[in-house]
Amino acid sequence: MKHLTLGLALAALATASHAAEMGAVDEPIKLAINEWTGQHVTTHVAGEMLKAAGYKVEYVTAGMMNQFQALADGDLSATLEIWSSNVSDQYAKKIGEGTVVELGDLGLDAKEGIAYPAHVADLCPGLPAWEALKACAGTFATAETLPMGRLVDYPADWGTPGADRMTGLALPFKAVPAGSEGALITELRAATEKKSPLLITFWQPHWAMAAYDVKFVDLPEGNEACFNDPAWGPNPNAVNDCDFAPSRIFKAAWSGFEQKWPAAYEILSKYELSVEDQQPMMGAIDVDGGKVEEVVAKWMTDNEGKWRPVVEAATK
Amino acid sequence: MILADTPRTSLAPGTWAALVTLLTGALCLALAPSLPWLTVWPADWVLLDTKAFSAVLETFLRFIRPAARLVSVLLAYPMGWANALFTATPWPLFIAIVTAIGWLVGGAAMAALGFLGLTFVLLSGYWVQGMSTLALVAVSVPVAVVSGLAIGLLANEIPRLKGAVQALLDIMQTVPTFAYLTPLVLLFGFGPVVGLIASAIYAAPPMARNVMLGLERVETEVKEAAVMSGATRLQQLFQVEIPAAMRQIMVGFNQCLMAALSMVIIAAVIGGFNDIGWEVLLTMRKALFGQSLLAGLVIVAFAVVIDRMSGALALEPQSHDRRVALGILALGLAVTLAAWRLAPDPAAFRLLMPLAEGVDKGLGAFTAGYGATLDAIKNNAMFFGLLPLRIGLDDAILPFTWGFQWTAWMSAVWFAFAVTAGLALAASGRVTAGTALVIALGIVETGIAQLPWPFVLVGAGALGFAAGGWRLSALAVGLLALILVCGLWDRALLSLYLCTASVAICVVVGGALGLASAVSPGVWRVVRPICDMLQTIPLFVFLIPVLMFFQIGEFSAVLAICAYAVVPMIRYTRHGLVDTPPEMVEAATAAGATTWQMLRDVRAPWAAPTILLGLNQTILYAFSMLVIAALIGTTDLGQSIFLALGQADIGLGVSAGAAMAILAFVADRLVQGFAHGQREALGL
Repeated sequence: MKHLTLGLALAALATASHAAEMGAVDEPIKLAINEWTGQHVTTHVAGEMLKAAGYKVEYVTAGMMNQFQALADGDLSATLEIWSSNVSDQYAKKIGEGTVVELGDLGLDAKEGIAYPAHVADLCPGLPAWEALKACAGTFATAETLPMGRLVDYPADWGTPGADRMTGLALPFKAVPAGSEGALITELRAATEKKSPLLITFWQPHWAMAAYDVKFVDLPEGNEACFNDPAWGPNPNAVNDCDFAPSRIFKAAWSGFEQKWPAAYEILSKYELSVEDQQPMMGAIDVDGGKVEEVVAKWMTDNEGKWRPVVEAATK
Repeated sequence: MILADTPRTSLAPGTWAALVTLLTGALCLALAPSLPWLTVWPADWVLLDTKAFSAVLETFLRFIRPAARLVSVLLAYPMGWANALFTATPWPLFIAIVTAIGWLVGGAAMAALGFLGLTFVLLSGYWVQGMSTLALVAVSVPVAVVSGLAIGLLANEIPRLKGAVQALLDIMQTVPTFAYLTPLVLLFGFGPVVGLIASAIYAAPPMARNVMLGLERVETEVKEAAVMSGATRLQQLFQVEIPAAMRQIMVGFNQCLMAALSMVIIAAVIGGFNDIGWEVLLTMRKALFGQSLLAGLVIVAFAVVIDRMSGALALEPQSHDRRVALGILALGLAVTLAAWRLAPDPAAFRLLMPLAEGVDKGLGAFTAGYGATLDAIKNNAMFFGLLPLRIGLDDAILPFTWGFQWTAWMSAVWFAFAVTAGLALAASGRVTAGTALVIALGIVETGIAQLPWPFVLVGAGALGFAAGGWRLSALAVGLLALILVCGLWDRALLSLYLCTASVAICVVVGGALGLASAVSPGVWRVVRPICDMLQTIPLFVFLIPVLMFFQIGEFSAVLAICAYAVVPMIRYTRHGLVDTPPEMVEAATAAGATTWQMLRDVRAPWAAPTILLGLNQTILYAFSMLVIAALIGTTDLGQSIFLALGQADIGLGVSAGAAMAILAFVADRLVQGFAHGQREALGL
């Protein structure tokens, strides 16, 4: 049934792919620039596509957590990289009100998990198998967590997926919430410099995955049965005794967007960016010190085949 | 030593207060096992649900939203103009203008300061972002100055309102800005206007306070002369009283500028503006210490230039040759015109970047080299200092921390020792000191985070009574009870614990540094610029090295708080000790006092009120840093505030912010009460 509806939707999209009206080309479309490099790449690629279609684009810095009120008010036109793993309650509220609309998936294949810098494998033999953590908990213990091991979890406002895994798998680890992404990165950096043990909740695509050679712990496959049925998985008494719920990365816009810039709406709805495209650009910026505008401009000329058709389908 | 000699026959109010607190503590301790609600406030007793509070607040905010939106539309105009003006001015011309202003207000020294400060900004490669930040300050300061002036005049004209105005100013300064960012975004919409308003809210109180103080101090004869010459009230105010109070008002203006500048980083958390705060946030997110330090130093450079220049304005105006200023301007213009084609884009100056990267690498190397030592420091501090303070000796002493297990029997010995020592002190006449000792030892055994709430309420009430009588006592108890019924008690106790630990460290370290600076001018020359930097750099910057060395946790949080809160302790201690009236020093010298005797018996008692004021400021600073420390990963009220910010939960944000403000407010009033008593004892 699900496949049938999806097929129908795709067919509908295919027939609807005639050129849309341009709308208010003189008014700039304001795209949100959040706090991380991957999002800058995603947004600048989309912005250049809109410019190529003939729109004016303005990039506006916006805090990830607080942007939805601005989106609902039309102060921001669209935001292009929302992670389901740490989207605030406000988003659901604005979607419910109808002041913000979703623009579909970005197509970025994200993975979250329990991770460690590569050198930790020497300190806890048996990694990446999760069972190895049972015996090594003492290695990861610190003053605050003794006698349990320490897991550095996401900041409290992103939820507690790491702590849920530790409870689910009955691992003797205490989850310590990091206060910010900066704190997570600093932990990775300090552990790498000191060659000290570290277990951390992390995700990819992220530039730090490569910079600090971060590896994921192998966990049992995460599925609905595991999240809802305690009997499933290695621990018969708990849910969440498995990998993370797959996270979605998607786009959203102000509710008035479609009416004001119909063709731009279509471009952004169809816009997708893969990890293989985004990750090298992130590296070129964060590791090699390039500027977002230049790195993206180079990618746009080298990969015209990947984005030009989307623009043309909407405008011609 | 006359002060310590309390009469033995009738007990002083302070002694009564201490005894009542002790009794409550003992009762709680005895009853706690059978009555669990003494230590943990039951969830059913939470009267004020933050969710319901959210709904009420949101409805109200939506109601006044159109008016607020109008304000933000109006403010967007000057904001745009200022931004266009600052970013469009070519950098050689801008540097020339600031240098010329420097010459006019303070001669060659100020001109050099202005020139060097701005050259630093240029070389850092953050010129464009720096100009955006200045534009924000240029609009928020007039807003803060005008509203501060209005508040001050209102309180001056209608004396009945004075109490209410004081309370309002306290609220504006103690509620953490992060706590009301969400409602501000809802009200004023997205963008730099929110940051502007937030910084104006924070910067207006110093202006208002100085206006009130200045007008109060205008001499009666001056006022009467104006009345007799038949001036109307407005004429009296604007033509006589305000000019007479001008110097104090200029001090307020200077403080207002500094406060606005220290808040610009808040604007970046919301976004909408490519300013220096946004750079700090980006580099901090990547854990690049050198780079975020560089971006932070740009703000320090602005702060130092603005502070010294506006400080010079507050002094007697000196006349400097205007032709020199014109010459500087002409030179700037000439450079601009001559180098119009050659002058590179200001963003291209990144000369200091390699230095920043070097600092960053150095930090990494240091962490790698001294990892084991750093861990040992942290573990010892946690095991023997912070953990016992938080959860008490009874829970903190375990075989793998101290090497043995704390038992009920040890508790009994501990309390027996406390009571014996207390009684011994009481027998020698110092009843208050004896009682306080028993209370302190009891707190160490139990741990701050596990104190029974009746004990904390009674203790605060008793302290309030000793410091300022019944009214202060009732105020303290009433406000703290409010936290209790909001259901934020356990988090508030954690905040209290973090603050106690940090303030204790600040008192010892800051006191010692202040003492050293007072004794040796050489030490002061080193310490002073460090104090300046610690006070104006965005607080976020401290978090990276602290985290690199000691990882996420309470120890890091305490260190970060100390780095900021230690400054007033140093400054006030030194100021108090240096400031002893010369005739007292001469008299003591004539009596043959040694340097040490002079310090202990003459300077220290004289400096006590000033040092208490420093302690008061240290406490307030510690509370304001507590919110920032939540970015490290604390679990106290600061975390609630960030949680609320992330989830746009207005009710939680406002109530957690209010709880934090209540703690700071109560601590402030208690210390002020004691300082007042001390001043009276000294006959000041």
